[in-house]
Amino acid sequence: MKFAFLLLILFCAVVQAAPTVIPIEKYTLKNGMRVILSQDNAVPVITLYMIYDVGARVEEKGRTGFAHLFEHMMFEGSANVPKGMHFKLVESNGGTLNGSTHPDYTDYFEVLPSNKLAVGLWLESDRMRSLAITKENLDNQKEAVKQERRLSFDNRPYATAIVDHWPQLAFQNWQNSHSLIGSFEDLNASSVEDVARFFRTYYAPDNAVLVIVGDIRIPETKKLIEQYFGDIPSQPKPAKPDLSEPANIAPRSEVYHDAHARVPGVIIGYPGPIRRSPDYYALAMLDVLFTGGPSSRFQLNLVKGKESLIQYQAEMGWPFASSSDYKDPGDYAMFLLFKPNFTPQQIVDQVQEEIAKIQKDGVDAKELDRARTLLRSEQIISLQSSLHRAQLLGRYEIFDGKPELINTNLENFLTVTPAEIQGAAKKYLTPERRTVLQILPAPAPAAQENH
Amino acid sequence: MRREILPFLFAGTTLMAQTIDRTKPPETPPVPSFKMPPVHETRLPNGLAIVLVEDVRFPLVSMRLSFQAGNKFDPQDLPGLAGMVAGLVTQGTTTRSYRDLAEELTSIGATLDGHASPDVFTIGGSVLSENTAKLLDLLADVALNANFPENEVQLRKQNAKQTLAAQRSQPAFLANEKFDALVFGSHPYSFFSATTESLDRMDRNSIVEFRDAFLVPNNAVLLLVGQLPPQAETLQLVRDRFGSWKKGTLPAEPAKKFPESKRRLVLVDRAGSVQADIHIGRLAATRTDPDYYPLVVGNAILGGGASSRLFLDVREKKGLAYDAHSELDRRRDAGVFTAVTQVRNEEVGPGVEAVLDNLSQMAKAPVAASELTDVKNYISGGFLISLETQASLTDQIDLVKTMGLPDDYLEMFTSRVRSVEPDQIQAAARKYMDPSQATIVVVGDAAQIEKSLEKFGPVQVEKAK
Repeated sequence: MKFAFLLLILFCAVVQAAPTVIPIEKYTLKNGMRVILSQDNAVPVITLYMIYDVGARVEEKGRTGFAHLFEHMMFEGSANVPKGMHFKLVESNGGTLNGSTHPDYTDYFEVLPSNKLAVGLWLESDRMRSLAITKENLDNQKEAVKQERRLSFDNRPYATAIVDHWPQLAFQNWQNSHSLIGSFEDLNASSVEDVARFFRTYYAPDNAVLVIVGDIRIPETKKLIEQYFGDIPSQPKPAKPDLSEPANIAPRSEVYHDAHARVPGVIIGYPGPIRRSPDYYALAMLDVLFTGGPSSRFQLNLVKGKESLIQYQAEMGWPFASSSDYKDPGDYAMFLLFKPNFTPQQIVDQVQEEIAKIQKDGVDAKELDRARTLLRSEQIISLQSSLHRAQLLGRYEIFDGKPELINTNLENFLTVTPAEIQGAAKKYLTPERRTVLQILPAPAPAAQENH
Repeated sequence: MRREILPFLFAGTTLMAQTIDRTKPPETPPVPSFKMPPVHETRLPNGLAIVLVEDVRFPLVSMRLSFQAGNKFDPQDLPGLAGMVAGLVTQGTTTRSYRDLAEELTSIGATLDGHASPDVFTIGGSVLSENTAKLLDLLADVALNANFPENEVQLRKQNAKQTLAAQRSQPAFLANEKFDALVFGSHPYSFFSATTESLDRMDRNSIVEFRDAFLVPNNAVLLLVGQLPPQAETLQLVRDRFGSWKKGTLPAEPAKKFPESKRRLVLVDRAGSVQADIHIGRLAATRTDPDYYPLVVGNAILGGGASSRLFLDVREKKGLAYDAHSELDRRRDAGVFTAVTQVRNEEVGPGVEAVLDNLSQMAKAPVAASELTDVKNYISGGFLISLETQASLTDQIDLVKTMGLPDDYLEMFTSRVRSVEPDQIQAAARKYMDPSQATIVVVGDAAQIEKSLEKFGPVQVEKAK
């Protein structure tokens, strides 16, 4: 039920592939639903991960926040699962669950003791087959989303600037720039018919991928999946929205006064490359050099050194994605909190100076080696979790049609050369392509102006 | 990464449904329990306790060097000192600058960080298993030879002040700070964080004094979990690095005296808040109290997860809040029970009332058999899932070794939860969830919500700091 949102992760994990091989069995049901199974009997736990090929970027004008509102509706019951029972059945079987809405996909998971797999399959198939779309449920969830907005955004420092204002500055195409959490006005306007149409269009088996990772036996699992999902009818493939951004890129800068913030911050972004292009891998490696681990350039030169930054985070696709689910058009962007004895412009200049060093002097071989080791160890650590493995498998399928990237993609990061990093810095990270949002502490009464 | 069947976990079996009845949930076997891996324990002559646990699932080794030196040992005028020392131990030693440490860590695929909780001071991290000896070098160096360079001390103080300012903009921080101050009284558990004043007073001397007094081998446990070298070799690696570490005389622990719980209502005024953060609770059982397991189960029924009473009533039925839950803060010498929700300003009266009603109900009526079974599964399953990664397994074992828990704590957790009876939950609720003894802290815009709170008793308004 959380909106995918990375506010306090100070460290970018460019985590992709397995150190040795994660087993993958991929097949497609007759109704077009793709299934990915990965057996690992080390711990009696399974993750059931359902990912739908629809995100907030398909929303229409007047319906901001709809994809997320719909995600909430998925927990409100279906033909055989009474309202409120979804949570109860997962939890009373010892599991955890959640759903989250992203710009380019929506996902749901259950992590369960492995002997409870059938419960998860029953729940996921019942809501894909027969979601309960009623006015009562919709009204109730509109209120829940509004309350979520008050809690997670309107009452917190930086959050409104990041979720509502940054995309407007970073993008020109409305599909990319509108608020993904949505306005109260648009949430109120959503109707039961909107929900029914969205469900029919996007929540069909052929627009979804089911991933199961963990303590399973493949033949039994396949049989159960066929029994639960096999006869859910497919739907025509939905049209994809036009997400293209205008080719002319001009520098942009704005100031946001944040009534809840006590420490100044700045967001800096640069329009990024095509997903999984050579420049994408090069920029992702550059990001590791800048912000990965305790010996990163930002840590050594800006937190130490200039003593200007207090915290930093950066990602391909920040704030809603990271390199594994970055989808163009998107930015390489960073969010920096800094000491008030510096001006936002000084911080922007310091960052641009770090970029200029790469553009001019390139990358030291030892430094790049360290970054590679960091990626390798980060990946082993993150792949311990069956949920994380399932997420990666599902996202590589939705974005690339290649779940096997979980095993092979690391190599694409590790083989980036110093010249490619330098080239990407020159091509993408120039002041002429830069977008800046300054977030300055404001006295409380000014809060009203921003809403 | 070679993955093997864990010898210490029951392998699950997948239930086979022959025919599918979609109208009701499939029947499945009970949640399996946790089987503890073999633990090897020994002690060096200088008093350092050593705990080795084999975990062959991943090519990783996790380390924790933990001291009885958490924030409860901070001097009265220096709250936050343990946290400051923990942050600084990795910033430079007598032979390695911050840059040296950071580059060595990154180049062996390791992390190493200091952290102070209310009870325990921990230096911990993980490393690719082939580099185990190298991370042990760095761990020993920061534990024994951190030299707290003046520039790093100054930088950390400045940044801590800014971070503190940022935290003070969060209503939950203000609520927790006030709540801890009220329930712990003069006990140093009330030191929720450093203050601007304590940060000003901290200097290199106070930091070195704290380190010299507390970071000694007879006050420490070294825990290694993962793909370790053979036992004799691992112990030799440890002896080579920690054997010459000098014993110390341990300072006295703070007296375990806590104030009586009583009903009171404090409103922390945060102008411009669009909603009110409500925290209601009191001191409760520790992990070693006989009441502990009934309290754990009762707390989960009241406010654990999305099937709990608070979630279903406050969020789903009344639509007052996005989040409504309860939690246990389990410190070594005292526990705390708290129910938490956030409601919009105009609903603050109904919000407080709903939480108080649910608290009363816990003592009034016994929980139903099905509710009890469900919640026991919820707790057991969550416990099993929480042991999936090496880091979480390591933290759980570290907890047993540093919080004075019995050796069978992890292995017996599930069966102790399963043995809890309804009358025990009611007794625990009478003791710990009684509204007439609850401390109520609300953070919000006093101009908008003070009136609505008056029906719950005298409202003491304080400005947010």
